[in-house]
Amino acid sequence: MNPDGSLVKLENIHKWFGNLHVLKGIDLAVKPGNVVTVIGPSGSGKSTLLRTINMLEEPTEGRVLFDGTEVTDIRTNLNKVRTQIGIVFQSFNLFPHKSAKENVKVALEKVLKLSDAEAEERAGEQLRHVGLEHKADAYPGQLSGGQQQRVAIARALAMKPKLMLFDEVTSALDPELVKEVLDTMKELAQEGMTMVVVTHEMGFAREVATRLIFMDDGQIVEDGEPREVFQNPRDERFRAFLSHVL
Amino acid sequence: MPLAIFLAGIFAIAVVMIGTAGIQVYQATSGGPVTSDCVAEGIAEDARGALGVCHIVEGIRSRPQTIVWLLGILVGASASVAGWSLYKRMPTRRQREHCIAGAVLGVQAMAMSGVFFWFRSGNVARFARNFLNIDVLEGAMDGFLRGALNTVKLAFVGEFGGIAIGLVLAVLAISARRTVRAPAITYINFFRGTPLIWQLPFFYFIFLFGFDIQMDSFSAAALVFALNTGAYAAEVFRAGIQSIERGQVEAARSLGMTYLQSMRYAVVPQAVRRVIPPLMNEFVILIKDTALVVAIGLTAENYELFTFSREIYSETGNATAFVATAVGYLAITLPLIRIVNAVEHRLRSGLTGVVGAAQ
Repeated sequence: MNPDGSLVKLENIHKWFGNLHVLKGIDLAVKPGNVVTVIGPSGSGKSTLLRTINMLEEPTEGRVLFDGTEVTDIRTNLNKVRTQIGIVFQSFNLFPHKSAKENVKVALEKVLKLSDAEAEERAGEQLRHVGLEHKADAYPGQLSGGQQQRVAIARALAMKPKLMLFDEVTSALDPELVKEVLDTMKELAQEGMTMVVVTHEMGFAREVATRLIFMDDGQIVEDGEPREVFQNPRDERFRAFLSHVL
Repeated sequence: MPLAIFLAGIFAIAVVMIGTAGIQVYQATSGGPVTSDCVAEGIAEDARGALGVCHIVEGIRSRPQTIVWLLGILVGASASVAGWSLYKRMPTRRQREHCIAGAVLGVQAMAMSGVFFWFRSGNVARFARNFLNIDVLEGAMDGFLRGALNTVKLAFVGEFGGIAIGLVLAVLAISARRTVRAPAITYINFFRGTPLIWQLPFFYFIFLFGFDIQMDSFSAAALVFALNTGAYAAEVFRAGIQSIERGQVEAARSLGMTYLQSMRYAVVPQAVRRVIPPLMNEFVILIKDTALVVAIGLTAENYELFTFSREIYSETGNATAFVATAVGYLAITLPLIRIVNAVEHRLRSGLTGVVGAAQ
């Protein structure tokens, strides 16, 4: 935990891609057990924001604090920090040459240095958790999109992270496969996992999230308890966005 | 009708190819003595292989041969005229394809006969004497086999040495740091940018005199082939590694893997499958490039295919050995090319574990 009681804290984060100013001074603190959903139009910087938390994108300016460690400090051992932050991607990014179980096991063995037996047990446990123990030996190419995404969630969870990041994880799925992934995430939220979820799923934001953030043009323009924010949107751009998606 | 056109096309091309070959075989097995015509063309009656050469020449000039080629042109022309004019009116795709195939074969038969006629109008005797005199190869079989073996040896050492060098170079060449990249890229550009036939003597003499390393020209050649192939293999590996989706590295790094771990467990296993066909292609190219060792010369026990045939040429003054060498190279490369195609097909047909993650 950070000194102020938060698990993740972003301080004045700026990100430039060449001449493009993508994040314009983001401040955000997430408390343990919170489920924060980030919504906003495409190009608003929400994915970039998420990816700065585990330094897949290095902020041009500002600090990221995770669990008492300054992640943005160049002396920090990033690989160690990353074992405690799980991330799930829009395009799954499973290793196509490894079976579902091997996908979960590889980092347990090579990064956490667990024995084969321990890794085997934990991988089985996590695949059961997402309801896919019967697909343990299937390769990603043999799984549906929803199943692949659940394997990706299991792979991230197996590291026993303190924080889970979700980057538009249902956007690449066929509509009928969205629910199984959202249900898995919902379960995870109910178990008390701290989550930051970039999504277009307003239903998930409304029902599961403890906090809703609306981003536009690299800034946080709306921030609050989901039900309240949806009922009384204060910002003009947020109102316009809602009228388009709801 | 369409079937008739198709069959006419097949007949035309078959008559030209099989007829020509048949006449040659007939001449070789039951042809008469050296004719006065042959002698008049400069084929000395008592010279080694004179009879065989004369048979080839007489076969090409014979009346049956004229008839075969004319028949090819005639039938071929009919098939192509009929095929081209009718194919659009055919009611089914199958019939249309028959018309087109017949017409194409007809054109090929005409072209082939035309080229044969043209060839016959030149100095066939002189060509046959210099390039098709099989008798001068008598007793050369052992040398040829040894030459083929040495060719394969050179290419093998060159290819595997090159793969090792290329892997290291590729890892350096994709570094984000310019200081790490620069030497690798300089090496690659140098070896890709200078001719192999120049590299061979240059490095041989640098090893020999510059560095004072005692080595025979065969080892030196193998080493230079490895150095050269290393540059090309590096480019193949680089392209293979960079063709793996960015998300793979991101996923691996997000799990806490180091850069090298993400390469080892996520990227390289996938890249290896993608680079196998281009690397095998490099190998085929290298097999032929081994002929360039003539630039530094080999000792007799190390002769590879090309040097060996050049040796026969300088002994006999006859170039038939070069024709035989081409057959030797084909005997090595054709099976390899088939294997490359099969491997490529297998990899492309979407075997488990080769396809991309997002689909």
